[in-house]
Amino acid sequence: MAGLGKFLVRRALTFIPTLIGVTLIVFIIAYVIPANPVRAWAGGEKASQAAIEMIKKEYHLDQPWYDQYLFLVKGLFTNSLLDPLNQEPVFTNIGNRFIVTFQLALFAFFFVVLIGLPLGIISALKRNSATDMVLRIIALIFISTPIYVIAYLFIWLFFIHWNATTLAGIPPNPPHQITHVPVVDDILTLNWSNLVQQVKRFWLPGFTLGIAAAGVLMRFTRNSFLEAYSRDSTLFLKAKGVPKSRLYRHVLKNALVPVITILALQFGGLLAGTPITETVFNLPGIGRYALQAIMYLDFPALIGVTFLYAIVFVTANLVADILYAIIDPRVRF
Amino acid sequence: MPEEDYETREEYEMSILDRISDGLIDGFASLISHFKKDWKKRNQSRIKEWKLMAYAINRSPPTLLGLFIVLVYIFIGIFGPYLAPWPYDFFPVNYNYSTQLAPPGSTYFLNVTELQNGYIIHYTTYIHYPLGSDTYGRDILSILLAGARTALVLDIFIILIGPTIGIILGLISGYYGGKVDETIMRITDMFLAFPGLILAIALSAVLPGRIQNFLNAHAWAQTLVLKLFALHPRDVNNLGKLLAVFVALVIVWWPGYARVTRGSTLTEKENLYVEAARAIGLPTRTILFRHILPNIIGPILVMITMDFGGIILTEAGLSFLGLGAVPPIPDWGNLINQGSQQFPQAWWLVAFPGLVIVTVVLGWNLLGDGLRDILDPRTRRSLEFKLKKKSRGGETNA
Repeated sequence: MAGLGKFLVRRALTFIPTLIGVTLIVFIIAYVIPANPVRAWAGGEKASQAAIEMIKKEYHLDQPWYDQYLFLVKGLFTNSLLDPLNQEPVFTNIGNRFIVTFQLALFAFFFVVLIGLPLGIISALKRNSATDMVLRIIALIFISTPIYVIAYLFIWLFFIHWNATTLAGIPPNPPHQITHVPVVDDILTLNWSNLVQQVKRFWLPGFTLGIAAAGVLMRFTRNSFLEAYSRDSTLFLKAKGVPKSRLYRHVLKNALVPVITILALQFGGLLAGTPITETVFNLPGIGRYALQAIMYLDFPALIGVTFLYAIVFVTANLVADILYAIIDPRVRF
Repeated sequence: MPEEDYETREEYEMSILDRISDGLIDGFASLISHFKKDWKKRNQSRIKEWKLMAYAINRSPPTLLGLFIVLVYIFIGIFGPYLAPWPYDFFPVNYNYSTQLAPPGSTYFLNVTELQNGYIIHYTTYIHYPLGSDTYGRDILSILLAGARTALVLDIFIILIGPTIGIILGLISGYYGGKVDETIMRITDMFLAFPGLILAIALSAVLPGRIQNFLNAHAWAQTLVLKLFALHPRDVNNLGKLLAVFVALVIVWWPGYARVTRGSTLTEKENLYVEAARAIGLPTRTILFRHILPNIIGPILVMITMDFGGIILTEAGLSFLGLGAVPPIPDWGNLINQGSQQFPQAWWLVAFPGLVIVTVVLGWNLLGDGLRDILDPRTRRSLEFKLKKKSRGGETNA
């Protein structure tokens, strides 16, 4: 296991330059902003010159670029960057909304695994048959359909026709917060009525968000299974006369190794893919926060969200790598 | 069986499509031979390989379907603005606003009052909406046709610039290794750390002002962009947002290619032929682009094909979010954005553009999927084998 520890340290060290790079890019985005947003923050056309000067000073906008960069980095890492619209630290604002996004991604992930894995395995088991052909085309359609189209189709079907979901508001948080994710807390505290409300609100956005990822997972599982099936070990098992069900169990075990790592990546992707879903389904998550920030020229908020997304994404990559290293020792060297 | 006997029997079983593709490839080869002497003769094996690839496409209905959709998309992208029944920004001005959000298949009679040659004239005309109208009363069919140009131009130029930057950086990084590699890859990692959509959102939110300033300062750039997108000069102030999406997507799209190209270059440069090329003193540029690149381009081509669809999805997604193209610039995603305010009453605003986007993206994905198989030499060889076997007939099989 020494190899694993060394690998983890080495892999974690690459995290640092990436993080610095991320702050650099975020700073460039902030620096590129042409329209001076200070006047808008100070209250529009009628803002007094004194107020504008004060805000400029507060955000170091009158300083040279390296000073602005240091101010930004300090703000991002100590959560002292204030959202000019409500004077709260940016990450405090984001924190409340991140729970919604996280829960949405959780629901989506559930559907991804529920749809993608079994269909991918069926497709591989019945390879080159009519079933396989149909499933492959379904996967391609899943991948090709944008969220903003399929979302309206689903709203029409499930909300307007069958009324199987709610589309407004957010169900209350459970009284006892353990993990701070409402669905998980509801299950842990056996708060069934609240759980039903949460599921009713979140299942359709999650399903919509997960469709494309489910298509990707289907294709990936199929290829992974076929790759594992074509190995010499399979030939050996066949020659030995192992029954088909046991043979497939062996193949499946090998095939799932890369699938598990791709699942970690997909969870990161789902978290990052929420802006459109949140807009369509009116969920107050961080994707919507970013879009609102753009609308109100609230660039500290935009920077904070972008930074957070990058961190989440990089962490997902890291987790995928670590999972892979744990499952497959060859990667560590 | 004697060798000559086998050779004489080696014949492909050809369909009409095979003959068409053969003709096209032969024609293309003759065309190049016209400019480069003896090209056809020297590249016989390459032409044969191309023909074999075409046979593989002809035998895969999904790939053919994808190819067909893509060709139609390109055709409409080029000629769409001229095929459209109405200009993309035309809407009838009337007083009761009945032509706004007109359902599909409806026809409206309009009383027009116009000043012609100093006379005020009244006449009645009609406007027919085969696919309905949008919130301004513009014909959706016309916007869809004109919007194909917007999508295609963005698509082609993003692919021309983004992946090219990525491939060049990847080749350099993989070939030289060491500090160059380290620098390029760290920069690539920085960009790959961001989810594509988020970076595109942030960039297309902050860039329009700068780009608009640049356009206003440079008249030639204005004219060029207007011509490319087939837009009316009065829309010049909306170009900044449109081009912001373009720049944002180029920035988002290169790092993936850099990483993939670097990976394949790393393994490819260990081959003896690269060593040989270096030994006889070929310039690095030639080694990279004439020797290494053709050998690693297969998977990259598949990626590019799929990304043609991916760019349409992302671009339409950005305009759905209100970034990127704004009315009156014709854009598929923007129609859906309008429709989102009117759903489900004005379902046609979501349904028709959505259907178009899904079809086109599916087309590119089908084509990419097919190319993946076809560019794999093993698949091609097995196809060759199969075709030959068929034409040899029963007695040799026995």
